[in-house]
Amino acid sequence: MQAAISALSLLGALNGWILRIGRAIGVVAVALMVVAILIQVFFRYVLNNALPWPDEAARFCMLWMTGLMAPSAFRAGGFVAIDMVVAALPRMIGGLLSLFLLFISALVLYVAIQIGWSEVTGIGGRFATASLYVPTAIDFSEWYRVPRSWMMYSLFIGVCLLFWVNIELILRTLVSFAGRGDDLPPIEGAVRAD
Amino acid sequence: MLIWFLPVFLVFLMVGLPVFFGLLAAPGILLYLNGQERDITLLYRNVYNGMDSFPLMAIPFFMLAGELMNRGGITIRLVEFSQALMGHLRGGLAQVNILSSILFAGLSGSAVADTSALGSMLVPAMEKEGYTRRYAAAITAASSVIGPIIPPSGIMIIYAYVMGESVAALFLAGIVPGILVGVGLMLMVRATADHYDLPAAKRVVLTGTEMGPVEWWVSFALVRINIALLIWAFIPISEEATGGVAFGWLIGALFVAHGLFIGLRRVVGHDFRMVCKRAMVPLQTPILILGGILAGVFTPTEAAAIAVAYALLVGFFILRSLKMSDLPSILSNAGLTSAVVLLLVGAAMAFKTVVSLSHAPETLAAWILTLSENPLILLFLINLLLFIVGMFLDAGPAIIILGPILAPIFTDIGVDPIHFAIIMSVNLTVGLATPPMGLVLFVAAAVSREKVETIAKAILPFLAIEIAVIFLITYVPAISMTIPRLTGFAN
Repeated sequence: MQAAISALSLLGALNGWILRIGRAIGVVAVALMVVAILIQVFFRYVLNNALPWPDEAARFCMLWMTGLMAPSAFRAGGFVAIDMVVAALPRMIGGLLSLFLLFISALVLYVAIQIGWSEVTGIGGRFATASLYVPTAIDFSEWYRVPRSWMMYSLFIGVCLLFWVNIELILRTLVSFAGRGDDLPPIEGAVRAD
Repeated sequence: MLIWFLPVFLVFLMVGLPVFFGLLAAPGILLYLNGQERDITLLYRNVYNGMDSFPLMAIPFFMLAGELMNRGGITIRLVEFSQALMGHLRGGLAQVNILSSILFAGLSGSAVADTSALGSMLVPAMEKEGYTRRYAAAITAASSVIGPIIPPSGIMIIYAYVMGESVAALFLAGIVPGILVGVGLMLMVRATADHYDLPAAKRVVLTGTEMGPVEWWVSFALVRINIALLIWAFIPISEEATGGVAFGWLIGALFVAHGLFIGLRRVVGHDFRMVCKRAMVPLQTPILILGGILAGVFTPTEAAAIAVAYALLVGFFILRSLKMSDLPSILSNAGLTSAVVLLLVGAAMAFKTVVSLSHAPETLAAWILTLSENPLILLFLINLLLFIVGMFLDAGPAIIILGPILAPIFTDIGVDPIHFAIIMSVNLTVGLATPPMGLVLFVAAAVSREKVETIAKAILPFLAIEIAVIFLITYVPAISMTIPRLTGFAN
């Protein structure tokens, strides 16, 4: 059991590190969203010149923010649920129910990963975005049109991370089940959706 | 067969599966059993397409603006302003608590933020003045539900997006119901003030305060510009008038506004004026948001981004209460909360597809119409259902789940979609303060260090008022519909 706890602590640390990077990118994405929309407002109303790209760029950032930050919220118990029943049941039965629910979540995420992969690598992902370009030369003389798959990867990566977090939560529940839950390091941060 | 996804979903929900997974698991399982595996791909696509939306971006922006304002120390200014206006009444601090919630609602739109920000400040102050802790916590929780009713409101953005309504119309429709809840609570406080011997408070607690020059001049300009624009809006300028004439009238209005304030200076004291001035900068936020949307200058999403820019400007340059080192945690908090909501909305769009495929609204409508064909009775029953749902589920997820099912039924029997949206939003928002799962009850308990059960008991008279307001809104559509109709946002 001690080995399992050590392995789980390591997995927890790894997840914590991955999700911290996700949150950091998410923070940048939120900031860029604000900047993009303010540029849009400025150009449209002050310079009377509606730019085509800020809307799509902001959506691009929002999708990545969601994909990279939602797993952190899930890990910290921030996904909305009615947890009265689990709390009211005896510890053993409540634990079993939690495990069952985590397996259902895992099933949903597993199917989502499969569909997600076929979507990003499928025909939909090969289309280009309407207005997003990235420079491919230092002097900005060449530009590459961003494919839609770059946006679609956000949800795919999001469900992959959720699945990975879900595995950690399943293992944590199993360890708690064995009465060693107190030996596990706590999950950092607790969020709730309003 | 497909319609069985609804009971399966309810079972998942009741046993504690997170709403996001429930919204996908139940339809997914039923589609699989029904031999419609291809449509499961449709579910995934709709989650993605549901999130890939420009109007939805208003949610993270409003959350960010609220977070910036909160950290920027505007709460104390709003409380002082409310106290200057209402502190002298019987039950003064309780009235201040309610008025602060109304003002706070124009900035944040979150009941939880309202409870934690105002509760941590006002509950100890109320205790010091002789209120019981449970009463102080109960009034904080009860008044915080005004937050998501008065614009800007996260749940209304979600409703508008999921149901294809106008965000501006819902924002406008929420103003009077939100104020009505506040006035109802104030009347209840006044009615119980003698019974509980609730004292009046000092009107102005801050004496001899001075403001920084930047804040002073910004407040000076803002208050005059707002009043001048209000006066200007009522001047009948002919359509043929040139821009110069209109500008001339605006300058005239500015002089009139300035004259008014010079006159007021003789009537009110320095400290009172300072308290009011200190609140002017934060109170400009709702004016900016609603004014921009109403004037057709901004879309709600752009207005939300402008609110963020304004909050940054206020925090960094006017009040100078924010530091660069505060930004990462503010952005992170806003991002984390929004990510959960956006994912839920995406799942709701997938869920909505299956609702349509299964013809659930038609089947449910046929069943509901067997109960009664009288819309008034049906509205009563639906309020009952929403209230019970609100006891167990937060307003956002409840709207996401029930909106696509219930709204078409009531629109078909002649209820205006905007009116129904407000009934649903207000009812489910009040649910945030109802036991056993009311989120703000838990936050109030944490802030006040009082037991949830004790607060739940003390909140009952205030809940009674809120229920009365729900029925008033339900049976008098003019309460919610007048402003959207007057401004041309509803028929």
